[in-house]
Amino acid sequence: MANLVLNNLVKAYGKTEILHGINLDVDDGEFVVFVGPSGCGKSTTLRLIAGLEEITSGAIEIGGREVNNLEPKERDIAMVFQNYAIYPHMSVKKNIAFGLRSSKASKAEKEKRIQEVAGILDMVDLLERKPDQLSGGQRQRVAIGRAMVRDPAVFLFDEPLSNLDAKLRTQMRLEIKKLHQRVGNTIIFVTHDQVEAMTMADRIVIMKDGYIQQVGTPDDVYNRPANTFVATFIGAPSMNMIDGEIVEGGVSVGSEAVLSVPIEGHEKGMVTVGIRPDDLKPDIGTPVLKGTVTVCEPLGPETLLYVETGQGEVIAKADGRTAPQVGDSVQLGVDLSTVHLFDHKTGVALTS
Amino acid sequence: MTLYRNLTIRQKQIVWAWAFLTLPVIFYGVIRFYPTGSAVLISFQDWNLLGERTWIGADNYIQLWNDPVFWKVFKNTFVYLLLGTPVSLVLSFTIAYHLDKLRFLHSFVRMLYFLPFMTSAVAMAWVWRWFYQGVPIGLFNNILAKFGIAQIEFLNSTSYALPAVLAPAVWAGLGFQVIIFMAGIRSIPTSYYEAARIDGVGWWTVLTQITLPLLRPTIVFIVVFSSIGFLRIFDHVFNMTTNNPGGPLNATKPLVLMIYDTAFNSFNMGYATAQTVVLFTILLIVSLIQLRLLRSA
Repeated sequence: MANLVLNNLVKAYGKTEILHGINLDVDDGEFVVFVGPSGCGKSTTLRLIAGLEEITSGAIEIGGREVNNLEPKERDIAMVFQNYAIYPHMSVKKNIAFGLRSSKASKAEKEKRIQEVAGILDMVDLLERKPDQLSGGQRQRVAIGRAMVRDPAVFLFDEPLSNLDAKLRTQMRLEIKKLHQRVGNTIIFVTHDQVEAMTMADRIVIMKDGYIQQVGTPDDVYNRPANTFVATFIGAPSMNMIDGEIVEGGVSVGSEAVLSVPIEGHEKGMVTVGIRPDDLKPDIGTPVLKGTVTVCEPLGPETLLYVETGQGEVIAKADGRTAPQVGDSVQLGVDLSTVHLFDHKTGVALTS
Repeated sequence: MTLYRNLTIRQKQIVWAWAFLTLPVIFYGVIRFYPTGSAVLISFQDWNLLGERTWIGADNYIQLWNDPVFWKVFKNTFVYLLLGTPVSLVLSFTIAYHLDKLRFLHSFVRMLYFLPFMTSAVAMAWVWRWFYQGVPIGLFNNILAKFGIAQIEFLNSTSYALPAVLAPAVWAGLGFQVIIFMAGIRSIPTSYYEAARIDGVGWWTVLTQITLPLLRPTIVFIVVFSSIGFLRIFDHVFNMTTNNPGGPLNATKPLVLMIYDTAFNSFNMGYATAQTVVLFTILLIVSLIQLRLLRSA
């Protein structure tokens, strides 16, 4: 087990730079999730840590040891791939044992280790099967088993759940989290799914276009997003972004209301106001926007309302039993402590 | 028309399927199955192409069994098969394996390997025949002479002639096999290799435990294809030994050439078709065995 440090990591393919100086400290035993849209550089970062790609500049340290020029096998890492990379012609046992091929342990020790891992992953009965006799979730577990058997300092997961169906994904999510609690190795997990990131991570690293946007706990990134990108990326449906203006005593949103949110230290002028759909409700809290319901999406306990307002379309949430109908005029209100303010030009969060 | 309209959708599909199948069915019937059947028939007859056909029972087969030339030719055919298939398999895999890693001039080199496959066998055989000549014409003997090694009568020696004829045949088929192998190698997901790199296994383990097992369907396909090719070898042999087809002393004669000889030089149709039936049976057995291997993969 070990910590992991990324120091000003840069990766370029020819003249195209795709990672522009990534800095990150991961503590021993921490579960860190890299999340971002496709092409943001999260998988590349993982492959750099694994040593499957060479870094252009910067440094990677695993357990206090610089690994820049080490082969993947010397880095004390293991990786679980998106397509699992389980060999179809080998039994489950052989697949898991493949991870031990280069190890110098005795045959008995290896066997013991395989049984141990199979026990943890609850697949002792599956050891003699071939991969094509396994379900998606079982294959996933074989892939994890092959990584686990080497007992690496750092586990790397490259979107391992994206080939599973929704139900299985939720289940495996839970299993991986439990597994982490049990074995306690450092985990770097890459995904494009913000729900996976929120549910599993100790800390989330949100990336976009080769830059880290924010590093923080799920609570940090949800409740204190660093900028409009993080604010809209985390949480579904996305946070509503409304144009506003900082005026005397608060923020004015169109002509409808002045929200008395703290504005100390900020210049007067245009501002972006962010309100999560969960916080925007008809007839509750401080009134912000007025509009007409254009679409209702009932989810059972609550209903999503698409409301056309003077400030554009926003999404609000109403109680499922008392939700307004399409065509109704609604007054949307908000708890002022949940309102986010962002710089109108740069999108950076305004804090006070 | 009402009759057609009253059919179910499935019956209509069947009607159309047969409508489109008629032509190939007739073609296969007339061009393939009818001659195959009549060849079997003729193999029990005595016929010189123009005269009367007379029934002679299994005489042709008995004659074949007692014909030393047939056994020599039978052996030759299997030497072509058992030498040509493994050699071309190993060569084409080795080339494909390394060509796959080559980035510089990749397409050009691939084209160079594919070129012989597109070249006429006749032209190729005659060029190679030229290579095999003695000093000062032949390329190989010139090279041997340069190093002071004795001349080799490639095409006139009973022991060297067969491999000498086989070499250009292997070379000609190589391009096709290389292309098939490359496609097979490329279809193996890169994550298998990356996982192996992380596990830290050596290249030999990667080759024998990952690449080759995953190429099994490709290998079986190439083995079937090249086996059939070598069992039917004719044009290379015929063109490289035109003065004495299949010579010297039948050392290079394959079954197809013997059939050709019997049929169109000796005009002994019954005997020729008996040989054809034997070849047909061999091809059938070899293909069935290999097909079974393919299924179990």
